[in-house]
Amino acid sequence: MFIDIQDLSFTYSNSLTKAVNCISFTIEKGEVISILGRSGSGKSTILRLIAGLEMPDEGSFTLNGKKIMDDRTFIQPEKRGIGMVFQDYALFPHMNVEENILFGLSKMSRKDKKRRVNEVLELVELEGFEKRYPHQLSGGQQQRVALARAIAPEPELILLDEPFSNLDADLQVKIREDLRRILKKANTTAVFVTHNINDAHALADRILKIKDGKIDKIGRPCDLLGSTSELPNTGEVIFEELLPV
Amino acid sequence: MNRYLANVNGWTIGAILIIILLFIPNVSIVTGIFSSASENWAHIKEYMLVNYIKSSLTLVFFTAMFTVVIGLSLAWLIAQYDFPLRSFMKWALILPLSIPPFIGAYTYHGIVNYTGVIQKTLRNQFEIVPNPSFFDIMNVPGAIFIYTLFLYPYVYMITRIFLSHQSASLIESARTLGKGPWEIFLKVVIPISRVSIIGGVSLVVLEVLNDYGVVKYFGIQTFSTAIFQTWFGLGDLDSSIKLAASLMGIVIFILIIERILRGGKQYSYSTTKVRPLPLVKLKGKSAVFATMYTLVIFSIAFLVPVIQLMDWVILTFGKVPMGEVLVYTRNSVTVAALSATLIIVFSLIVGNFSRIVHHKFAKLLPKLTILGYSIPGAVIAVAVVTTFIALDRFLAPVYEFIGIDSGLVLSVSLFMLISAYIIRFFAIGYNSIESGFDKIGTDFRDASRMLGVSRLRTFFKIDVPMMKGAIISGFVLVFVDILKEIPLTLILRPFNYDTLATKAFQYASDEKIMEASQASLLIVGVSAIAIIIFHKLLREEPK
Repeated sequence: MFIDIQDLSFTYSNSLTKAVNCISFTIEKGEVISILGRSGSGKSTILRLIAGLEMPDEGSFTLNGKKIMDDRTFIQPEKRGIGMVFQDYALFPHMNVEENILFGLSKMSRKDKKRRVNEVLELVELEGFEKRYPHQLSGGQQQRVALARAIAPEPELILLDEPFSNLDADLQVKIREDLRRILKKANTTAVFVTHNINDAHALADRILKIKDGKIDKIGRPCDLLGSTSELPNTGEVIFEELLPV
Repeated sequence: MNRYLANVNGWTIGAILIIILLFIPNVSIVTGIFSSASENWAHIKEYMLVNYIKSSLTLVFFTAMFTVVIGLSLAWLIAQYDFPLRSFMKWALILPLSIPPFIGAYTYHGIVNYTGVIQKTLRNQFEIVPNPSFFDIMNVPGAIFIYTLFLYPYVYMITRIFLSHQSASLIESARTLGKGPWEIFLKVVIPISRVSIIGGVSLVVLEVLNDYGVVKYFGIQTFSTAIFQTWFGLGDLDSSIKLAASLMGIVIFILIIERILRGGKQYSYSTTKVRPLPLVKLKGKSAVFATMYTLVIFSIAFLVPVIQLMDWVILTFGKVPMGEVLVYTRNSVTVAALSATLIIVFSLIVGNFSRIVHHKFAKLLPKLTILGYSIPGAVIAVAVVTTFIALDRFLAPVYEFIGIDSGLVLSVSLFMLISAYIIRFFAIGYNSIESGFDKIGTDFRDASRMLGVSRLRTFFKIDVPMMKGAIISGFVLVFVDILKEIPLTLILRPFNYDTLATKAFQYASDEKIMEASQASLLIVGVSAIAIIIFHKLLREEPK
C-alpha cells in the first residue's frame, strides 16, 4: 500500500482527552480520501498529524515505503514531500500568484520552474493571472492558486483542509467538479477534510467517518451515504444534518 | 519521539538565553530585599518611606483620574463624531507624547514664573502684579498637571483605536434602541472600553512611577528621587535596592489590580471582522464645542510648549555652539537606533520561540521580561553596573593578555548603556512584535513549511516581510522612548558622552532653561516625526 497509518494518537497540551485516539488506515496510490466528521471531532488534527505540523503521542506513518514517523523517527514537515491546501488558503499576501507558486520550487532550473508554473496554472485554468496578488483574486480563484501551489512541487500526497468552506454555495459545486478533475488528471493521492456530506460524496473514492477522535466507519461513498440521488441537491449540506440518514 | 525534546532548536536556545539576560536585574532586586539592612534603611523606613508612598500614590491616583477623563472624552469625540478639524486632531492629539514630561515641566515653569511670558505680560501690558505663589507649579498639583498633559495620549490612543475598530455594531444597536449620545456614552462606551482604558492607564501609571525628571526638577520626594539620593547622596546601594523593591511591590500590586479589573468581564466579539464606526456629523454649537475642546487640549499640551521652546531657541541662537548640538544629536540617534535594532532582533527571536514551541512555558517565559518595564531606570542602572563590574573582573586576565592596562573595559563602555536600554525597553518592542505574530497567525508559516521550506528560510521569506508593520512600529516606539530617557543615560553613559536628553536635563537643572531649548526641541521634533509616521502610516483606520 502507498500510505500506511497505524495507531495514531494525539492529545493537545491544554487538554486531558485524546483529540485523535488510536487511528489506523491505509490509502492506495491515486486514491482520494475524505475525512468526514462534525466540528471538534478531530478530523483536522489528523490532517495536521499527517502533515507533521503536530507531533503525535504515538503511532506510525509510512509513505511510499518511507518511514515518516514512529517512536524514534519524526520527519519535519518540510522534508515529507506532502502538499497542503489550507482552509483559508494561506496565500502569501506579499507575493503574486507566480511568486506564490515558485516559492515551493527550489531545486529546479529557472526554465523548469517557469515551465512548471505554466503547467499548474493551465491545470487550474488560471493562465494570465501570474502577476495578480491574492487580494486581487476571487475566493474561487484563490482556492485554485492554493491548489496549484500545493501541486507544483509534485508532492506524493496532498492534504486539503475544508477546501470549500470559504466559497459560496454555487461556486462550491463548480469548484468541487474542477478539483476532482485536477486531482485525477495529476494522478495525485489526496486526503481532504470536510464536514459537508455532498463534498465527500462528490470527491472521494473512500470516506473515513470520524467521531470523538476515533474512526466510526470506512467505506465507499455509495456504501456509507447511499447514492447521490438520495442526497438533497444543495451546496451546503452538513454532516450534522445528515448523520441520522 | 519525545514531544518536548523535539521543541529544542536554535530558536529555543536563543530565546531562553535572551530571557535569562533580561531577567537578571529583577533577580538582583529581589535578593536585595533579603540583604542585611543598614542604618540608613532604618532611618528611611522610620521617617521617609510613608512620605514616598504618599507622594507617589497621590501623583499616580490623580494623574490616572485626569488622564482617563481627558483621554476617554477625546477618544469618544474623535471616534464617533465629525466636526471641523477632526481629521487633523485625530493624530495631532497624540503629539504631546513627543514631549518628555521633564521638558514639559521646565518649559511650563519657564512660561509661568516671574520672568515668564504670562507674568511679564500682566505686569508690562496690564500693570497687574499677581501673587507669584499663584503661578507656582513646582509642587505636587503642578506635577499632576504636567503628567496629565503629556501622558493622556496613552489613554486616548488605545481607547480611540478600540472604539473606531470594534464598537460599531454595539453603538449602532444602542442607537436603534432609541438611546441618546450621553446614555450611549455612559452605558455602552465606558463599559466596553474598560479594558482599553485600563490598558492605557496602566502605561500612564508606570510612566509616573518611573519618572525621575519632573519630580527631581520640581523637588518632590518620590521613590525615584529617593533611590537616586540614597545611592549617590548617601552612597548606600543596598538601601536604594530596598527602596526599589518596595516600588516594585507597588507596581506588582497595581499590575494585579489591573488584571482583576480586566479579568472577569472581558468583552469578546463573535466576529473578528473590523468595521469602522460611522461618524455622526456635529452641527452648530456642538461642533464649535468639540473643535474648541480638542483645540484647547492640543494647544496647552503641545502647541504652547513647542512655541515657547522655539522662542527660546531663537533667543539663544549662537549661545550653544552648533557643533556641540550636532554631536549630542549624533550620539542620541546612534545609541537609540542601535538599541532599538537589537531589541527588535531579540523580540523576533523570543516571539518566534513563543509561537513555534508548543509548551506553556514558551508562552509564560516572555511575559516575565515585561517586568523590566516596570522597574525604574535607576534600579536597572544599579543592577547593570554591578553585573558589568563583575564581568570586567572575570575578564581581567583576558584584558591583560591582549595588553589593555585598565581593569574596567565593559563597565565604562557604551555597551553597558545599550544593555540597560535593552532590559528597560524590551517589553515595548516585544509587545509590538508579539501582536504582529498574533496577527499573521501560523497558517502562512505552516504553508511555507509544507512547500518544503526550512524554518529559518520561512522566517526570513514569510514572517519578516509580513511583519513589516509590527517591526517598524516596534522600532519607532523604542527609538522614541530611548531618545527621551533620562535616569539610565545619566548614570550609565561613558565619560563625556552626552545625549540630547542628558544635555537638556543638565541645562534645565542648572536653571539655564533657554539653553536647554535647542536639545529639547530636537527631541520633540524627532519624536513628533516618528509618532506621525507611526500613527498616520501604520495605524490608519480600517478601510
